[in-house]
Amino acid sequence: MIHNYLFLSIILFCLGIVGVIARRNVFTVFMSIELMLNAGILALIAFARLHVHMDGHVLAMMVMAVAAAEAALALAVVILLHKHKSKLDTNVFSLLKG
Amino acid sequence: MNCWPQKVRLLKKSTKKGALDIMFADWLFFTFAVIAVLGATGLVLFRHPLNGAMSFIVTLIALAGLYALLSAKLIFALQLIVYAGAIMSLIIIIIMFLNIQPEDLPHEETKWMYLIGGAIIVMPIGLFMVKMVRTLPNISTEIVGNNFGGVKEVGIQLYQNWLIPFEFIAILLLVPLVGAVVLAGKRGKNK
Repeated sequence: MIHNYLFLSIILFCLGIVGVIARRNVFTVFMSIELMLNAGILALIAFARLHVHMDGHVLAMMVMAVAAAEAALALAVVILLHKHKSKLDTNVFSLLKG
Repeated sequence: MNCWPQKVRLLKKSTKKGALDIMFADWLFFTFAVIAVLGATGLVLFRHPLNGAMSFIVTLIALAGLYALLSAKLIFALQLIVYAGAIMSLIIIIIMFLNIQPEDLPHEETKWMYLIGGAIIVMPIGLFMVKMVRTLPNISTEIVGNNFGGVKEVGIQLYQNWLIPFEFIAILLLVPLVGAVVLAGKRGKNK
């Protein structure tokens, strides 16, 4: 049943949000965002199956490309911040605070 | 639900083998779903990011199985190769490259408080989305055979209807390439 896939997608998305809210480790926050992207992909594929139309698959590929780009850039930023502060705590990275 | 009669008809019409196949697909779905949720929970709860990354890889592989159950063959392969293969190995290489010791990790004394608070905040959003999903038609997800989800069909769709977004994705992938080199490769200039 297609509803079960959508419910699973909602559960994974909520877990991703909770991870972003609760954790302070940069890598865990980053991977929680990836988890939310994956929940989105699962919903897209489920809707593609629901309508038996393949636009959802194309969009899922694009989400994967966005995730790859995000991974490359975010990891470069994490390396740079770790070089400056030698910390992985998101509370330490407050350079942009007003 | 409107799905109910359809499934009964399917079970009556199909031979015993077909009914077994549907049950088998349901079992596969629940196994993969439980593995995916457990992996995601591990990602949120593990203290060391390397453990979290390993548990997230388990989630990604279970999700690849779910895509196969939804007859998305190309996305199944891409999920395994690109996501579980390339992106996650990049993340793990960076985690190992920084050589994180347990004492380098942030002290998260308030983690459980934030977890419970976050769950309370997120719950109404999740329940709202569940309510929204219930309004959609519920169809059974037996495997669609040919002309759905293979490389050829998705490729035709991609190059006929989605050509301009595809080109924008190419530009999007070029920008982080330049950005990552500019950000992470400053070492020679500072000396």
